Amino acid sequence: MEETRIVNATWDVSTFKYRIEGQGLTRMLSGMRDAKLIGIKCSKCGTVYLPGSFYCRKCHIEIDEAIEVGDHGEVMTYTVGYADVRGNPLEEPRVSPMVKFDGCDAWVMGALEGVKPEDVHVGMRVKVAWAEERTGSLQDMQYFIPE
Amino acid sequence: MNRKIAIAGYRMKAASDLVTTRERLTFELTRGLFDDLGIDRDHVGTTIFATNDFLDGRTISNVFLDPPAGVYMRDESKVEMDGLSALVYACMRILSGQYETALLVAFGLCGSQVSPYLHVEYTLNPTYDRQLGLLNELSAAGLQARSFLNKFGYSEDLLDEIAARNLRNAALNRDQARGIKDASAKDIKDSSYLYEPLRELHTYPATDGGCAVLLASETKAKELTDKPVWILGMGQSIESYYLGERNLYESRSTREASGRAYAMAGIDKPEAEVDFAEVSSLFAQQEPILTEALGLYGPGDAEKAYAGDNGIAGSLPVNPSGGPLGAHPICATGLFRLNEAIKQLRGEAGKNQVKKAEIGVVHGQDGVCAQQNTVVVLGI
Repeated sequence: MEETRIVNATWDVSTFKYRIEGQGLTRMLSGMRDAKLIGIKCSKCGTVYLPGSFYCRKCHIEIDEAIEVGDHGEVMTYTVGYADVRGNPLEEPRVSPMVKFDGCDAWVMGALEGVKPEDVHVGMRVKVAWAEERTGSLQDMQYFIPE
Repeated sequence: MNRKIAIAGYRMKAASDLVTTRERLTFELTRGLFDDLGIDRDHVGTTIFATNDFLDGRTISNVFLDPPAGVYMRDESKVEMDGLSALVYACMRILSGQYETALLVAFGLCGSQVSPYLHVEYTLNPTYDRQLGLLNELSAAGLQARSFLNKFGYSEDLLDEIAARNLRNAALNRDQARGIKDASAKDIKDSSYLYEPLRELHTYPATDGGCAVLLASETKAKELTDKPVWILGMGQSIESYYLGERNLYESRSTREASGRAYAMAGIDKPEAEVDFAEVSSLFAQQEPILTEALGLYGPGDAEKAYAGDNGIAGSLPVNPSGGPLGAHPICATGLFRLNEAIKQLRGEAGKNQVKKAEIGVVHGQDGVCAQQNTVVVLGI
């Protein structure tokens, strides 16, 4: 074995086009414009998905019943990040909980503001802090704040 | 199973940097294994690769890996998952009656040639999870760890105990890439937080590594080795991709997979019948989550287990090899667990050897927070 060479090259994954089904994310996003969380409920087992899905994982049937879930919920778990997802250090640690909104079965991840990392606990009640100017994008749900 | 299948032999190699190429690693692992067994590539019926196009930087990467594995003018197929999934596929090929032997080759060069975290980033849902910009492999593991600690009322000290145990065991094992001799819980706590409660030493190391494993039918195995290790049962299960649709403190799919594997192996009481386990716990909290799902320890028994029962000298050892905190060559990690179990069953594990090793259970995973799980039961 004489040497191993490193060849620098790029692989631009962002050139992929992703087509998505309308019932789930699109409905969630359009609901966000009105400061509402819209999930999809399975007509058979009653599971409420958020973001919604066009099929039920468990029943394997097509589903499309839009249902509003509460924008208040409970912290199910959380992590305190010291770097962003690409590993760049953050100036302040960032609390990212998963929240189970009232009337919803799935947990939703977001950022939590207005509370020190050491004061966060599983089971604490939080609510969505909606943006003043909403455009129907994920940014409308700015972050979570204590209830 | 309609035929008995055994593992005839294996070769494995891991380091933080193996200073090699994918082709050379493939060649050396397979050539070395054939030399160990005194055979040539003519003795290999079929070959299954477990590698990942993304990590290899080429589409259908087996096209350049087949020749160095001795597959010239033969048949080969690839499983783009953990190697233990490839093992299930290889077993099916032997069970078909078409082949007497099947060669498995698996590797990942994430220590020297590609970031281990990048492939998980591109696993994430592009239209939601990636846009949110909060999830990566480590933050997901942090959420899982917090969920587990909270569910059973454990402190973060438990994660330190788990990591210290594994890194101590890994230091005794020359097949591991990382180990810390006499590691203490304090050594672990001295490492930095990545995503709280997860610290640097609670997580797997970026690893170069790979292995080659030869499976054989009963007749062929007895020709090839005096120490065949038999595959007694196998099971697989997958749960929802979305973390928010799972209870992160448990692994339901591992429980389903192990139920299938134990049923095939005729095991009714795993906690009494299994002698040891090697599980693909990539982060400290996954070890107790997985061993509970495998039916070896009860929910909430982790503190008691880590007081000694699941150590090398304990009554039901878990990851006596040091587990994936010592090496996580992506795609090969499940087969590393298999190879470590083979060492135990053959009595060749040296300082990592457990007292009784007649039945072992091994586990492999894919996906964020162990979405897909494979369980294999082995015996002598």
